[in-house]
Parts: sequence; structure tokens; C-alpha cells
Amino acid sequence: MRLDFTLNGAVLSLDIDPGLRLIDLLRDVLDMTGTKEGCGEGECGACTIILDGVAVDSCMVMAMQVRGREVLTVEGLEQKGELDELQRAFIDSGAIQCGYCTPGMLMSAKALLMRTPEPTEHEIRSAMAGNLCRCTGYLKIIQAVQKASQMQSAHHA
Amino acid sequence: MPAAGLKYIGKSIPIHDVREKATGALRYAGDLKLHGVLHAKLVLSEIAHGRVKHLDLEQALAVPGVVGIYTYRDAPDHPYNSHQWLEGMEVQKDELIFTDHVRFHGDRIAAVVAETREASERAARLVHVEYDELPAVIDPEAAGLLNATPIHASGNHIVHKRIACGDAESRMRDADLVIEDRIETPKVHHAAMETHGCIAEVDAQGTITVRTPCQVIFQVQLIVSQALGLPMDKVRVLKTTLGGSFGGKGQPILEPVAAFLALKVGKPVRLVLDRTETILSTRTRTKAIGRVRTGVDRKGRIVAREIHMLVDTGAYCTNGEVIPMAMGKKSFRLYQIQDQIFEADVVYTNTPVAGACRGYGSPQICAVTEINLDHAARALGMDPVEFRMRNLVHPYNADPAGGPSIGNARIRDCVTKGSDLFQWREKSARPKGGGRIARGIGMACCTHGNGYYGGFPDFITVDLRLTPDGAVVIKGAFHDLGCGTVMTMMQIAAEVLDLDPSSILIPDADTLVCPFDSAGTQASRVTYVCGGAVHQAAGELKRKLLESAATLLAEPISGLRLEQGYVIGSSGRASYQEIAQYAQRQLRSDLCVNLLYQSPGNPASYGAHFAEVEVDRITGRVRVLDYVAVHDVGQAINTGFVEGQIQGSVQMGLGMALMEELTFDARGRVTSSRFSRYTVPNAPEMPNVRVALIEEGEESGPFGAKSIGEIATVPVAPAIINAINDALGTRISVMPATPERIVAAIQDV
Ligand code: FES
Ligand code: FES
Repeated sequence: MRLDFTLNGAVLSLDIDPGLRLIDLLRDVLDMTGTKEGCGEGECGACTIILDGVAVDSCMVMAMQVRGREVLTVEGLEQKGELDELQRAFIDSGAIQCGYCTPGMLMSAKALLMRTPEPTEHEIRSAMAGNLCRCTGYLKIIQAVQKASQMQSAHHA
Repeated sequence: MPAAGLKYIGKSIPIHDVREKATGALRYAGDLKLHGVLHAKLVLSEIAHGRVKHLDLEQALAVPGVVGIYTYRDAPDHPYNSHQWLEGMEVQKDELIFTDHVRFHGDRIAAVVAETREASERAARLVHVEYDELPAVIDPEAAGLLNATPIHASGNHIVHKRIACGDAESRMRDADLVIEDRIETPKVHHAAMETHGCIAEVDAQGTITVRTPCQVIFQVQLIVSQALGLPMDKVRVLKTTLGGSFGGKGQPILEPVAAFLALKVGKPVRLVLDRTETILSTRTRTKAIGRVRTGVDRKGRIVAREIHMLVDTGAYCTNGEVIPMAMGKKSFRLYQIQDQIFEADVVYTNTPVAGACRGYGSPQICAVTEINLDHAARALGMDPVEFRMRNLVHPYNADPAGGPSIGNARIRDCVTKGSDLFQWREKSARPKGGGRIARGIGMACCTHGNGYYGGFPDFITVDLRLTPDGAVVIKGAFHDLGCGTVMTMMQIAAEVLDLDPSSILIPDADTLVCPFDSAGTQASRVTYVCGGAVHQAAGELKRKLLESAATLLAEPISGLRLEQGYVIGSSGRASYQEIAQYAQRQLRSDLCVNLLYQSPGNPASYGAHFAEVEVDRITGRVRVLDYVAVHDVGQAINTGFVEGQIQGSVQMGLGMALMEELTFDARGRVTSSRFSRYTVPNAPEMPNVRVALIEEGEESGPFGAKSIGEIATVPVAPAIINAINDALGTRISVMPATPERIVAAIQDV
């Protein structure tokens, strides 16, 4: 079946199997393996991507559902060789250990900062509630989101 | 910040592959795309115990794209024990690649190999298995009974272990009070975010290459060769980036299976499990039921203690014979108890297989003994901190059970510092709250080891080389699980050689490339043992570098020093690059070192954790309000990593204390085999953790460092349970303390 959508700013037109989940389209068909699978049932957030500005679990979305819509994945965060503020803040804060949850965490955080540029700690924790990390205990991740938010406001001030 | 007088040690430098992780560019095993790869899907037992009566493959074989289905009829009959890491170790070899006597829900019966993942999954669902179901033994206390159905031909009782010192029996009679408990710790899923998976391929010469997220490449090589009956040099193992392990990827589980399938089909085979398969059919934390009797005198001194641990290793033995000793040893190295008996019995049950899990038995024994000690303090009417301070070890106390020196043991400093930071005194004076919400505080102390010294051979060989372009390459079987092992080694070498860590390369572990390491990334040995090796080898390399520089600069070695990639003399300087090139051209020599490092000891690491909780008496819900963790680490090599290990450990311990547990139905089938049924703590549930370090140096460790990654998980659950018991006046003794259990315990008070 024909699928047209925007992926990380590029317009794609593909012929796909209608039974495909979005995560499989990204990972298997397009070989964009930054998006991870940790549970396949919407419980871990490793597969989080941003769909029209909202963080969603790509294991719970069929590929056909993104027709005509805009998808942002971890691969789209870096712009012209420049890391996104969130990526830099994750690196500087020690928020990355094994890194398996990182792409999903980044995308949930990105969606949060897109709608709430200066979130409270409580808002950060709630926005990340669907993203499991088994390594860090979340604290450095929360700090990283706070730091990125500060970097952004400094930037825009 | 680096430690005083040091440039790189103590500094919080990000993990070596952080940029690739942040961009999503790094490939984990499941992300690798090998040309012509086939996909495997396991057929797992749906029942807890039984015999496969009939296997109907017809429909499955008809699925387009299926290449083959391989079962217990095809797999080699070479039993192995996946926990074995050295050739010749005595182990119970009770595992096979596939079996028709299924011993737990998730046991491997067969595998489908197909051209696509979808085809392999569809076909696996169409394999019809008929069983002769046998009674399942789920309760470890029933496993050893005479009427219990035997799980293995040898019976269900595997081994009895004992460690003792002094005369606990008669000293117990002198005690003013004897406090008894029965405490249960759960079977827990490791829950690394990356599920288990690996890829195996066979080349024209018949050499199998396995790419796998593992903790010990040489162990994978050994087990694959045993399971397939192949010489070890026919198996090459490459470690892939690990998406977390916590011990769960410590034992080769899928590697022999994938290697077998690759041999059968002659093509690369990818075997990647989903979450449910990972929960069911990999490894779990060992469940334990501890019975403990502690005799104390009125002054608050422990006069004698008797501990019995019933250890449930699940359906296969794996490390079942070793883990009780790991538990037992800890109980002689934390408090000054001269008269003590530790005993353990290990049993099989028809439940998922236990293995290594962060702390290797220490969290279990710590929960049993530390909860009991709080009961003792309460019975004596004594403050739990004060009571512990009367009994904790001092630096260099002898281990009464004859274990290696505990070294510069700084547990007392941890407790003192932690109590201050936590404001223990102030908090204990606060009212508990008599209404719906109760508040309480609790603490626990812990100890853990630094490697295998004293128990098993512990050594590593490493190669260091200064390349003619001035970089240093370190080859050793290092496996970064995400904890920062590689950067830790880089920082140690960087400090000795005064070279920026970015000029140091450590390739991923590979059996063909790396010199031998006896035990891999396990047993809390990496910083202390492997770091010790890198420290010493870098010192050797420095000596060679200075020797060559002395000739080049025509100056005596004594006047030379290293600075930021240069050797500086009184009359001139030379870069490492120039010296390495000079050595090759003029001295016909290469600046390299091959070093065998034998672990010099096994000092104990220590920690003290403090928790404040709020409990809702009606719903049984617990919220951790404040948390302080203080650890005696000798010296942090990378302070950020140490904090990260501690914070992550608190999260894992919080899960064990309050919510994580594999649960079973009456027939022994796992009822918590997905994340929607198996809850791990998420960001809103995580308390803020205040971390403090005691850095008094351990003489035999590199720059004074000792272990942190495992020990930080050890005291979490008892600290939290003690806080709950403090809040409610309960005697909660079964973990996790779920809301239902808490409500029941309140009713029992
Ligand atoms: S893989 Fe999608 S939520 Fe876990
Ligand atoms: S860094 Fe390992 S799961 Fe988050």
C-alpha cells in the first residue's frame, strides 16, 4: 500500500505492507535503528517517536496511521552536524549509561519541551512516566531535561 | 572534579560511546543487519512441568519462508552449565539446547528458522505441542519434601552449604534476647531495557562467530564449544554494545542455541527475544527464604547469630552451588560476630532459571539480616543506628570465617556521614503520624566483594601499546555494560601516562583479539582487578616510554617526566609520537606491554543507606520521601559514574522492596510475563537520592579504588522495609511489600 509522510523533515513515498507497525517500518524497512523496541506493548517507551508534535510509542502505531503526517525520530534531532540541546544536556549530565532507553527518553523530553519550554520537575517526571530506564534511576535524566530547558531559554532570550 | 593532585581520576567524563548513543547511531545486537541473515524464533514450553508427548510441525513447516524447524531431536546431547566460566570447574551440567522434559514455563523445546521475522513468528505459533503434564513444584519449601515430584533425576535438593566460626550454639544460650525472623526475597526480572538476543554465523572453515551482548566472551566461547562438542578455537565471540545487563546477560543462554541453528542452516541466524520471552526464559534473581536467629546482650552487642537460607535456583542449577557461599561470606564481614553459623540449602523448582543478578546473593542475605537487626534494635529499645555502631567492623578487622582481609573497611564512616546528611536524629524524634498517613525512617548497612580472590582464580592479561601516532591501544576483555567500564580503564591509563582519554582506544571484547581474562565483567571485579591490571600495565608502558625517550633526548631517565603527551627533559622534550617512531626506527622496538595481573586480594566494599517513607494505611501505598546513600568506594575513578551506579541501584532495590516479583498461577505458569503485569519503578516513583562517598583509599586498588556497581543495590530493600516497619510498627517479612501485603501486615499488628 502507498504511504506518504514526512520523516525527519524529508517527504517519503513508499509501498508498504499494511500490516506493518510504525516501529518495523523505521527499523526494518528504513534501517533507522535508533528507535528501540523494549516491550512491544506500549509499556517501556524505548520506541518513542514524535508524531505531529506528540510523543507516541511507535510499537503501538500502524505505519499506515502516519499517512500525511510528520514523524520525528532520534535520527532527526541532530541538525547540520549540531546536536540538539537535549542531546548535549543528556551527555553533559551523565544521563546516558547503556543508552538503550536514550532515544525514547530524548523524544519524550523533546515533545515536552516543544509544548512546555520551561517545565517543572513534576512535569518532567510525568512526561517521562512512560519511559523506563533501568540504569540511571532517572535522576540525571531529569536534570538533563532541566538543563536543556535552561539552555533553550538562554538561547532564545 | 578530579581528585586532589590528580588530573583524570575522579573526573566525571561521559561514557566513551555517549555521542553515538545520543544520536541513535550505535547499533546493538538487534540492530545489526547481516547479509543473508535468517531469523529464529523459539518454541517455549507453555507449562511449568511435563514431557513433550507429541510435536506437530506440519502446519509450521508449510509457512512460506520457513527454512527449518529444529527440536530436541536434532540438538546435540551435551549437557552444560551456563554459569561455568573456566574449563574444568566442577558444575552440575543439567542444561541442553532443547529439551523434551520441560521444567518451567519458558523452557526451550525447539526453534523455527525462517527468511523473515514475521514468518518465524507465525510458524512458531503453529508448532503444536502436546504435553504429559507433571505436578509443578513452585514453593521452594515444598521442593525438598519426600512427596515432591523430582525435577531432575538427581532429585530437587542440590546442595547443603555451611560456614561457621566460634560456637554459636552455646553462645546463643548466653544471649539476653534472641530475635528470630523468617524473611522472603522475590524472584526478580533483571529488566535490562535491551531484551536478550544474539547473531551467529559459520564461515567456510566451520568457525562459528557469535555476536552477543555478553559479560564474559571467554565464557560464551566455552559454553558454545561444550554444548556443540566443538573445539574452543572453532568459536569466536564478539561482544556487542550492551543495552543493560545487571547479571542477566552474564550467562550464555541464547548463544549455544543460535550457534547450533547457524550450523544447521549454514547461514547467519539472528535470535532476538521479545520482552515476554526475556522474562520467562532467560534468568532471574535467585529467590531466597532466610531464617535467622540473632542473640544480643542488653548492651546491644550481637553475641551469636544463626542463619539459614533456602535458595530457589529455579529449573536449572546454573550458579545454585556458588550463590549460597557468596551470600554466606558477607554475613561475616559487616559486623563483629565471633560466633556464627551460616547454612544454606539449594533446591530446584519448576520456575524460571535463576542466575547472577546485581549483587549475586548479597541483596538477599542483606535483606534477611538487616531487617532482623532492626527487629533486634526495636526489641532492645535501642536506636537502629546506635545498635549497628556497637557492632560494625573496624578497618582491617580479621574475617572470623577465614576470608581475605577486609582491608580499609570504612562502614563506620558511611553510617556517621549518612546519619548526619539524612538528619537521622532529627527525623527519629518526629511523630510517626497516627492518622491515615504514617511516616517512618529506616536504614541498612551492606558489604560486597571485589572479585573472586579467595574463591576462584582471578587474573587478567592485557596488552597496551603506544602507536607511532601517539595513541594508546588497550586490548583486554572488557565488557562495558553501560556502567562506564571502558572510560574507567581509559581514565586509569590516562592518569598514569598523562595522556588525554580521547587518545586511548579500547576495542570491544573479542576472543580473537583480546588476551585472556579469567572472569569477565562480573563479581564486582572490573575496577579493582581489571583496573589494577591497566594501572600496572600503563606503569610498565611508561617505563618503556621513558627508556626510549632517555636515549632520544640523551638524558638520564631520572630527570624525565610526562606531561600531556610529551616527555619533558631538562634540555628538550619529545612527543609520544616521536618517541614511538624513534623506538621503531632506531631501536627496532615497539612500545608495547603484555601483562598478566593476578588479583592481589579481595577487600570489602561498604555502604549505608537511609530512607524516609510515607505509608497510606488504607491503600498500603508507599512513597519514598528522602533517600541518602553513602558508599566506601576507596576512591572514585569517575565520580559521575559512581553516582549513576548508586542512583540506578536505588531504583532497582526500590523495585525489589515494593513491586517487582515473578508471580505464578496454581499450575506454575508465570502470570507477570509482560511489563504491563511486571512493574518496574518509573520516573515519578523515584525518590531523589543524595549520594556521598567515603574516599579513604584501598591500598591494593588502582588509585585506591574498589567496587560500587553491585553493592549499591544491596541495602536498598531492607532500608525501605525497615522504614515501613518503623512507620507502621509492623513486621513485614515478605518482599516485595505490595500494597496488599502492607494492608495485611497492618491488620496483624
Ligand atoms: S517497545 Fe514500544 S513501548 Fe516498549
Ligand atoms: S541508560 Fe540503560 S536503560 Fe536507560
